[in-house]
Amino acid sequence: MITVRDLHKEYLVSEKGKGLGGTLKSLFRNEKKIIGAVNGLDFHVNKGEIVGFIGPNGSGKSTTIKMMTGILTPTSGEVLIDGRNIARYRKETVRKIGVVFGQRTQLNWDLRLEETFELLRRIYQIEKKDYLDILEVMDSILGIGELLDKPVRQMSLGQRVKGDLTAAMLHSPKVLFLDEPTIGLDAGSKYALRKFIKEINTIRGTTVILTTHDLGDIQELCERLIIINNGVMMDDGNLSEIVERIAPYRTLTVEYYDSIVPTHPKAEILSAADNVVRYKFMKRELTAARLISDLSSLHPIRDVGIEEAGIDDIIRIAYAKTVQS
Amino acid sequence: MKKVHFCLAHHLRVTMYTIKMALLTIIEYPSNILGWLISNPIQFLLGFATIKFAVEQFGEINGWDYGQLAFLYGISVISHALSMIFFVQGWFMGYYVIDGAFDRFLTRPMSVLYQFFFTNINIFGFTDLIPGILVFLYGCVQTDFAFTVSNVLGIIVMLTGAVLIRGGIYILLGSTSFWTKSANDFGQFTQEIFDKTTMYPLSMYPEAMQLILTFLIPIGWVSFYPASELLGMKTLCSSGGMGVWITLAAGIATMLAAGLVFQTGLKKYESAGN
Repeated sequence: MITVRDLHKEYLVSEKGKGLGGTLKSLFRNEKKIIGAVNGLDFHVNKGEIVGFIGPNGSGKSTTIKMMTGILTPTSGEVLIDGRNIARYRKETVRKIGVVFGQRTQLNWDLRLEETFELLRRIYQIEKKDYLDILEVMDSILGIGELLDKPVRQMSLGQRVKGDLTAAMLHSPKVLFLDEPTIGLDAGSKYALRKFIKEINTIRGTTVILTTHDLGDIQELCERLIIINNGVMMDDGNLSEIVERIAPYRTLTVEYYDSIVPTHPKAEILSAADNVVRYKFMKRELTAARLISDLSSLHPIRDVGIEEAGIDDIIRIAYAKTVQS
Repeated sequence: MKKVHFCLAHHLRVTMYTIKMALLTIIEYPSNILGWLISNPIQFLLGFATIKFAVEQFGEINGWDYGQLAFLYGISVISHALSMIFFVQGWFMGYYVIDGAFDRFLTRPMSVLYQFFFTNINIFGFTDLIPGILVFLYGCVQTDFAFTVSNVLGIIVMLTGAVLIRGGIYILLGSTSFWTKSANDFGQFTQEIFDKTTMYPLSMYPEAMQLILTFLIPIGWVSFYPASELLGMKTLCSSGGMGVWITLAAGIATMLAAGLVFQTGLKKYESAGN
């Protein structure tokens, strides 16, 4: 569905000197510097996948998304959507994609929501019947029906995002790009958005590319993660596989009856306070059941809790890895 | 042929709907339009009254009498108004470049330039158009201008050319923002130049100035030369009755060049932030 091949994007940045003197100097002798925002990305996304595109601020993920959606022209390399180079055949290719920027709306601020939809219906040349059908689907998923008559400026952020999602779905795109869609949303709106993504993915087979800093989004939605930093791919795989590789450990929290700290040869003690001790152990070396039974043979145990390595650990480790390299 | 027609109908439908949206917006904020409705016509009618005063004092300006001046002034205001209606967005192109406002146009399956201009039609421009037409018609009556087929065609061809020249220059200047990465706001400045040089006879300027405005910066061809020919006035430079076609040709050439420069610039577009 989407193929990205050896994608590069460079920006020419002119270096301005400091202060008035420097600024004046740069008027005459402009020092230009090339900065690589994306430095050779290659990947392929299959039809029907939900891919989480993650990376810290300034990692090049926004630049990549903008090249994938036809907004920026790559310095070199190519993005194929359904086999077509989007930079070369923009008009016909963008018809196959829908784009929602969480921080920007495409809805007309002053008018009723439906006015924007009617404009998009004309831009994308959607038949009235198809338009009504898709609105019905979107109403069943997001409850958009009751918002159609509401002026956009009177909407809450959550309602506005629902409007933007519907606007992006009107022409039944094969791929939906969501750039930080959950930013600033409350829990209820986040839930609605995640439900929407799952449903259009199952019902309509829409491929979804999602950038987010929200760990909940990643955990709930993404079967596959692409982690980028400094404009290069850091990791690409499904979530559990990446967890297995980067953080193949679990944490066991044990509450004892007394304030004691029993040790185990294959477990590392993370913390010990009052009666509670936290052990970190490798999944490959030890099962949780084994560890619990070993510990309980040393001291009576009141309660236990097991945690997988969190997605935030994964991301932290993945990002940290890039700083060293 | 059928495809061209279909494509045209598609663009027309989209533009008509955006005009409807603009009207709806006015209904939402009615006080905004009031100022425009009052100040714009007054501005041009006052300009015209100034000419009337000058002519009454001096009899005529360089052989142009009152009716002929009205004719020229009217034509200039009409082409100004039409360019305000269709191309005024061009003044703000730099801000679109800096704010990343082309993003949305780029993700939609229509030409970016088309969306930029024709989904943002400035219906307030009509408040300039009406005084322009009034003054022009007044000039026609005063000069006994004959509404023959060739004369009417001449006016339409000239106006089309003039609007294309103005629009093309707005695009050319606006596109520089793709390279400079700053919002170059040139709107008022170019408008002043256009208005000062097209509303009054070029022949009132010194000859050196006339030569510059004829050949170096050929603004004289926007309306002065063709209008002179339509009125049968003698000028520094004659094209033997081809004036209106020169205007149209210049308009098309400017627009094509502008389109090319814009498309080249768009490849350098960097969007904005996050």
